[in-house]
Amino acid sequence: MNAFSSRSLIAPPGHHLLRLGPCSLLLHRRSLLVALILGLLLIGVGSWILAAGDDALTPWKALQAAFGQGEALQVFLIQELRLPRLIAGLLSGAALGAAGCLLQTLARNRLATPGVIGIDNGATAFAVASIVAVPTSLAPSALALSGAATAAVLTFALAAGGGARGYRFIVVGIAIGALFGAATNLMLARSDMDAANAAYPWTVGSLNARPADSVLLLGIGLAVGLPLAKLLANALSLMRFSDSVAIGLGVRLQRMRLLTLALCVWLTALAVAVVGPVGLIALAAPEIARHLCNRHGVPVLNAALSGALMMILADWLGRTLLAPIEIPVGIIAAVVGGPFLLWILLRQAPRSST
Amino acid sequence: MTLLSSLLGDASQTNVRLEARDLSMGYAQTRIIEGLDLLIPSGQVSAIVGPNGCGKSTLLAGLARLHKPIAGSVLLDGKAIGSLPSREVARRLALLPQDAMAPDGLTVSELIRFGRQPHQSLLRQWSEEDQAIVDAALIAADLKELADRPLESMSGGQRQRAWIAMAIAQATPLLLLDEPTSALDLGHQIEVFELIRQLSAAGKTVVMVVHDLSSACRYADLLIAMYQGRIVASGRPEEIVTSELVEQLYGVRCTLLRDPLSGTPVITGVSRL
Amino acid sequence: MLASRLSVSKALGIAALCLLLLCIASLLLGAGDIGILPSSRALLGGGDDDARFIVFELRWLRTELALLVGIALGAAGVLLQAVTRNPLAEPGLLGVSAGASFAVVLAINLGASAASLHLGVAMLGALVGCVLVLLVTRMRGVGDDPVRLVLAGAAFSGMLGALSSLLLLWDQRTADEMRFWVIGALAGRPLDTVDWSLPGLIGGLLMALLVVRPLAALALGERVASGLGHHPQLTRLGTLLAVAILVGTATAAAGPIGFIGLIVPYIARRLVGSDIRRTLVLSMLLGPCVLLLADVISRLLVRPYELPVGVVTAFVGAPILIAVVRNHRLPTL
Repeated sequence: MNAFSSRSLIAPPGHHLLRLGPCSLLLHRRSLLVALILGLLLIGVGSWILAAGDDALTPWKALQAAFGQGEALQVFLIQELRLPRLIAGLLSGAALGAAGCLLQTLARNRLATPGVIGIDNGATAFAVASIVAVPTSLAPSALALSGAATAAVLTFALAAGGGARGYRFIVVGIAIGALFGAATNLMLARSDMDAANAAYPWTVGSLNARPADSVLLLGIGLAVGLPLAKLLANALSLMRFSDSVAIGLGVRLQRMRLLTLALCVWLTALAVAVVGPVGLIALAAPEIARHLCNRHGVPVLNAALSGALMMILADWLGRTLLAPIEIPVGIIAAVVGGPFLLWILLRQAPRSST
Repeated sequence: MTLLSSLLGDASQTNVRLEARDLSMGYAQTRIIEGLDLLIPSGQVSAIVGPNGCGKSTLLAGLARLHKPIAGSVLLDGKAIGSLPSREVARRLALLPQDAMAPDGLTVSELIRFGRQPHQSLLRQWSEEDQAIVDAALIAADLKELADRPLESMSGGQRQRAWIAMAIAQATPLLLLDEPTSALDLGHQIEVFELIRQLSAAGKTVVMVVHDLSSACRYADLLIAMYQGRIVASGRPEEIVTSELVEQLYGVRCTLLRDPLSGTPVITGVSRL
Repeated sequence: MLASRLSVSKALGIAALCLLLLCIASLLLGAGDIGILPSSRALLGGGDDDARFIVFELRWLRTELALLVGIALGAAGVLLQAVTRNPLAEPGLLGVSAGASFAVVLAINLGASAASLHLGVAMLGALVGCVLVLLVTRMRGVGDDPVRLVLAGAAFSGMLGALSSLLLLWDQRTADEMRFWVIGALAGRPLDTVDWSLPGLIGGLLMALLVVRPLAALALGERVASGLGHHPQLTRLGTLLAVAILVGTATAAAGPIGFIGLIVPYIARRLVGSDIRRTLVLSMLLGPCVLLLADVISRLLVRPYELPVGVVTAFVGAPILIAVVRNHRLPTL
C-alpha cells in the first residue's frame, strides 16, 4: 500500500500512538491517566491504611516497612500482621472489579454482577457446607472455588441455547443463586451456634484471617487473567454492538462469549474463595471506571484498580467504624454500594441496551 | 477510476465470488428457504425483493454467515463460508444489518474506525492505511463535517450513511445491506441509494434487500424476486418485472409505468385482486 | 402442560378442594411426636390434651397464618406481574419483601418492638421497594427488557439484606431472629400474629379489587385503557399500593418468603389464561395451597427437624423460574 506511507500518521483523537517498526499500539489517553491516578491512589491509600491506628507509623514509613526497610518491629508489624490482609483486599477487589466489567460487557447490561448469576451463592453454599455440614479435609476456600464453578456450569447448562442477549442466562443464574442461597440457609438453620458463627463470614464477605494459599492462588489467577482480559479487549469492545454487527466485523461471538464467561467465573471464583461474596464491588467498580474514563470501551484494568481501591477502603471502614466490633467488608460494600446503585439507575443516561 | 476507488486504493478491485448452492435455512421444523441456488454477479448491484416473510432477510443472513444453513451451502470464493475464519470473511464481505446498534456516545469517526478491525491485530492497531481509508470513507459518505458528532444526534439518513461508511472502511469487495432505507424518508432514501450506486461504480459488488419494488428497480442492476422461500424470477428489472410478477409476489393488481429518469419499471395503480 | 384452559369455576372448585385437603393435612401432620392418628382423634373431638394443644393451638395458628400469607403473596404476585408487564416479577425477587423486612429490622433496632407496629413499618418498607420498582420500569422505556427489572431487584435485595445484617450485627440479636428476617418462617410466630395481620390483608385485598378492572384494561395498552376511561398512572400507583400493603402484611407476619408470588401466577395463568380478573381470584386460592404444601413438606422432610419454609419455596420456585425463562416466548400479560 505505497500510496499511504507518505502521509504522516496521527493517532485518532484522544489516543496516544506507539510505533516500533511495523508494530503500532493505540493507548487511550484518558484511560491511561485514570489508571495512573488510581495506581498512585492505591499506593497512597494502602500505605495510609497500613499506618493507621499506630502513632509511631507514618504512611511513608509503613510503605518502606512493607518492603522490609526500617525498624525490625515495624517491619514485623506491617509484613506479618497488616500487609497480608491488605494484599488480600487488593487482589480480591481487583479480581471482582475486572470480573464485573467482563460480565457487564457480556450481558450488555450495567446491572449484571457475577453474584447475580449465582456464582457467589454457589461458593458460599459449598464453603458453608464444608464448615457446618460435611466433614471434609478440604479448606473452605477450595470448596468455595468448586462451588462457584459448579454454579456457573449449572447456569450455563440450563441456559444453553438461550437468546444472544444473555437474557436467559441471567435469569437462570438468579434462580441457581436462589437455590444455593436456600441451601445455605438450610444448612445454617440446622447447625449449632459455633458452626454457624464460623460459617457467618462466608455468607457476608469478610477479609478476616484468610488463608495464605487462597490469596496466592488469587494472585496467580489475576496475573494470568488480567492480561488475558486486556488481550480480548478489542473483541470485547465489539461485543457491545448488536450481534449481527459484531459477527459482520469478524468476531467469533460464541467463542468470545464462552471465553469471557470463563474468565469472569475464574476471577470471581478465586476472589470469592478469599473474601466471600462481595457482590457490589463487581457492580460499582466497572461503573466508576467507565465514568472516569468517559468512554465507551471496556475498561478492565481501571475497573480492577477501582475495585481494589474500594475493597481496601471498605475493609478499613469496617474495622474502624464500630471498633472493636468488625463489620464484614461485604456489608460495608453493600451499604455504600446500595445508594450508588440507585444513582446508577436513576440518573438520566442516554437510551441504550445497557 | 472514480474518486472513490482511487481513494480506497486497490482494496476493492479484487473480484470475489459469493454463491448459494441448494441452500435451505430455517429453524426447528420450519423451513424458511428451500433448495435455493444463487450466484451473485460481481461488480453489480443486486436487489432481493419479495413480500414479507418470503425469506429475503434470511437469505442475506445466510450469505453473510450470520446463521448456519440447515442444508446446502454458501460458498465464498469456492469455499464454504462457515469453514473460513470469521476475520477472513470480514475482509472480503461487509454487512449492514437491519438491527445495527452501536454503544452510546459513539461518534461517527469512532464508528467508522471500528470498520478497520478485521484488518488490525494486537500488534498493528493503527496504520497509515487505516487512517487513509477511514478518511476516504468519511468523504465518500459525505460525513467529513460530522465526523466528531455522536451518532444519536444525527438524522436517520446521516446515521445510515455513517453505518455504510463503516462498511466502506472495511474495504471489502462485497457489501451486503439489509433494508438500508426502510426507515428513511424520500430525501434520505435517495441519499443512501446514490451512495450505494457510487460504491458499485467504484467496483464493489453490492447485494441489498429492498422493501420497495420501485426503488429496487431503479437502483439495482439485477433483481432477485423471492416468494415463499424460493427465487421465482431473476434478471434485469426491465425484463422481469411484469404485472404478473407483482401479482404473484404481492397479490395485487397494478399498472406498470416507465420511470422518466431511469426508464425502469414503476408500480402504480395498485388495487386488490 | 395443559392443552386446554379450564373454565374458571372448575379451576376455582379444584383449588378450593385442594385447599381444604391441605388445611386438614396441615393440621394432622407435623415434625413432632403427635402423629396422624392422635391428631385425627383430636380434630374429631377426642384425643388427649397434648394432641389437642398441638392441633388446635400450634398447628391451627400455623395453618391460619399460611392461609393469610398465601393469599397475600399470591395476590401480590399477580398484581406485580400485571403492573410491570413482566412474568418474572415477584415481590421477593424485586426487593419488595426485602424492603419490608429491612424496615422492620430497622424499627426493631430503633426500639419499636411492638408487633403491631411492625405491620405499618413493613408496609412502608414494601412501599419503598415498590416505588423503586416503579422507577426502574419507567426508566427509558425499559418495559421490553424483563431482565433489567430482575437485575435491579436482585441488587436491591442484596443491598437491603446486607443492611439488615449490619443492623442485626450491631444489635447482637440471636442468630435465629437474624435468619428469620432473611428467609422467613411460619413456625414459632407470636400467637396474636394473625389478629393484627388480618386488617392488613383485608385492606390490601380491597385495594386490589379496586384496581383489578383498570388493570385488565391496562393490559391492552395505555392508550386503549385511557380511551376506556381509566387512568393508567393512577392504576399503577393504586396497584403498587395494594402490593405494598399485601407484601408488608405478609412479611411482618412471616418474614420474607420468596417465590410464592412467582409460582402462583404462573400456575394460575396456565390454568385459566392471562385475564387478570381470573388469575387474581384463582391465585388467592392457589397461594395458600402452595404455601401450605411447602409448609407441610418443610415439616416432614427432615423430621424431627423443620426446614424454614422459605427454603422449600426456593427449591420449588427456582426450577419454575428456570422453566418460565426457557419457554422462548414468555406469556404476555
